[in-house]
Amino acid sequence: MIELTGLDVHYGAAKVLDAITLEAKKGVFVGIIGPNGSGKTTLLKAISRVVAPTGGIIRLDGLPLADISSRDLARSVAVVPQETTVGFDFTVRDVVLMGRYPHLGRFAKETTVDLAACDRAMELTGITHLSDRSVNAISGGELQRVIIARALAQEPRHLLLDEATSHLDISHQVEILTTIKKLSGEISVIGIFHDLNLAAYFCDEIIVLKNGKIEAAGTPAEVITPATLQKVFDIEASVSIHPATGKPLVILLPLSSEVVKNDYRVHVISGGGTGAEIIRALHRSGCRVTTGVLAMNDTDYAAATELGIACITEPPFSPITESSQAALAAQIAAADLVILTSAPVGPGNLDNLRILAEAKETPVLFLADDGRAALPDYTGGKATVYLDRMTASHRLEVVTGNELINRCTHGRKK
Amino acid sequence: MQKGYAAILVLFVLAVVTIVACTGIGPAGTPFFGLSGNDAGSLILFDVRLPRVIAAMLVGAGLAAAGVVMQGLFRNSMADPYLLGTSSGGALGAALAIVCLGGAFHSLLAFVGCLAASFLVYGIAQNKGRVQVEQLLLTGIAVSMFFAAILSAIMYSSGQNLHQILFWLLGGFWNVSWDDVTLGLIIIPAALCLLLFSRELNIFSLGEDDATHLGVNTERLKLILLGISSLITGIAVAIAGCIGFVGLITPHVVRLVVGPDHRVLLPAAMLAGGILLALSDTVARTIGNEMPVGIVTAFLGAPFFIWLLKRRYAA
Repeated sequence: MIELTGLDVHYGAAKVLDAITLEAKKGVFVGIIGPNGSGKTTLLKAISRVVAPTGGIIRLDGLPLADISSRDLARSVAVVPQETTVGFDFTVRDVVLMGRYPHLGRFAKETTVDLAACDRAMELTGITHLSDRSVNAISGGELQRVIIARALAQEPRHLLLDEATSHLDISHQVEILTTIKKLSGEISVIGIFHDLNLAAYFCDEIIVLKNGKIEAAGTPAEVITPATLQKVFDIEASVSIHPATGKPLVILLPLSSEVVKNDYRVHVISGGGTGAEIIRALHRSGCRVTTGVLAMNDTDYAAATELGIACITEPPFSPITESSQAALAAQIAAADLVILTSAPVGPGNLDNLRILAEAKETPVLFLADDGRAALPDYTGGKATVYLDRMTASHRLEVVTGNELINRCTHGRKK
Repeated sequence: MQKGYAAILVLFVLAVVTIVACTGIGPAGTPFFGLSGNDAGSLILFDVRLPRVIAAMLVGAGLAAAGVVMQGLFRNSMADPYLLGTSSGGALGAALAIVCLGGAFHSLLAFVGCLAASFLVYGIAQNKGRVQVEQLLLTGIAVSMFFAAILSAIMYSSGQNLHQILFWLLGGFWNVSWDDVTLGLIIIPAALCLLLFSRELNIFSLGEDDATHLGVNTERLKLILLGISSLITGIAVAIAGCIGFVGLITPHVVRLVVGPDHRVLLPAAMLAGGILLALSDTVARTIGNEMPVGIVTAFLGAPFFIWLLKRRYAA
């Protein structure tokens, strides 16, 4: 178990860590997230005794860190740094075997126990086939796996990972973190993460650092929230619990400061996911977007609500009520432009098209990349009648997605 | 490792052969081929040539060992035994002895100069007991420059002593005696101490932080290894002046052959350095007409090293 109580670290006059108190129990994978310069690496360096704290105390399995000899510390704690350069052409096996150093006496030769630990570590990290290659002749990702294997060969009770898998491809990231997660049944692991979703997926607890202080701590679901992410990273993100993993899933949203607001009003009539992309693009371009009428389980509805866009809704499979019809008519009247996608039209959403056709004034852009004004009609031709009527009166114009974005981005109020 | 031990054995046999062969060769002739078996002959063999060959062996071995340690500690292929200002410190000491004391105690002053330079560099570069390798390296360069400036000033105003100083600076074994061999023998136990730390030197190649994580007391390691290699370099300089090249190139050449494991590299480089310097000195005193040996080591060694590098990087 790793316990930190009121830990302070200064670099010169600058306070890098401020009263950090945390606990990593055996069997728990603790993740540390935070922006650059928030003190994450320094925290690990303090635990591995590379930097000396200026206040507070660190205990490993109850023993104060200062009372542990270098050799005992190395038997207990292994560290995987962000990057390692190896000065000479050692083989992969040589480097992994260096992990056994704290277990060897000055005159001792490596025993079968050491060699077995080394073989197991190489197997767990999937580098057995590289064992006789020079560490300077393998890729950066492979080298990182060698360094992880070296840390595992140390057979530590505590494992510290400083963005240990950031440079690996996604499959090896997942593979190695899964391995470490399995090992973490017997040891305590503290890992720095940049990828919030990996942290949420693998960690049991997450600690959020900002400016050397703990900003939040708890389970991934408690800690990874839009509010915390906004406060710590200054990003706008949507966090949902992924149905397959049950873990928070972070999706970045466009920065509001990046979006130039204009007063061009666009109403989108879509459904079945045909409008989601255009809704996002319109939102990015700064238009005032409204949508509807949409069913509440529609993908377009999800996109609109995530972006905070007004949406007229009905429960799934329900007809459009009188009040929604009135709301839609009002939105269309207020809009400078209506966008219609080629979403399938059935009895449930035929009213959308009828109200649009009756509105007469507002111009309509029909989104179709093949240039034809047609949509899947499940109303026995009624929908097509409305569509043809708008086409005939030259109110409706067929455009492609790119044209549409262009028009709306450079759109001016007439 | 098995291959490494075989290389050490081969080098050891070569070293013995080199000692015998080099002792036999010289301007005064070779046993059974011109060198008489009388007292004068055995005097030349055992009191002139043999101590000279053994001293060259020891100095070469010492410089190679110090070179291996410096390159390992600094993780820098340009590192050599003189990195901490030892050569310019030693040269300054010897030059002072030549100018002020008429040449007396010049070995002693060279030795003192070497160690003084090392201590000075280490002392300047340390902050609260911690030494950063890069700062050490740059401080070594700065102190070397400073000493070299003083040395140049002395040489500029030394008049007829100039030739003597220059000769000393280039290094050589022309007036080596059994006393020098006795002094040089200290290099062997010192190098054995270095060998005890070869596993730590291996780990040091991962960087200082990683070495700390693996339980290496890096500050103590640096102090011990720099101390011992400065002592070895000081002895080498006291015996033969500032011989370049051996300490820089031998570790590279041997590493290309036996690999980077210091447990093998260190003894193999020592044997190779000894052989290289003994052979070079033999060339210097026979063909070269007592030309300073540093000229020979560089003249023969550099093309060989370039050939080896070419082969290595082409593969």
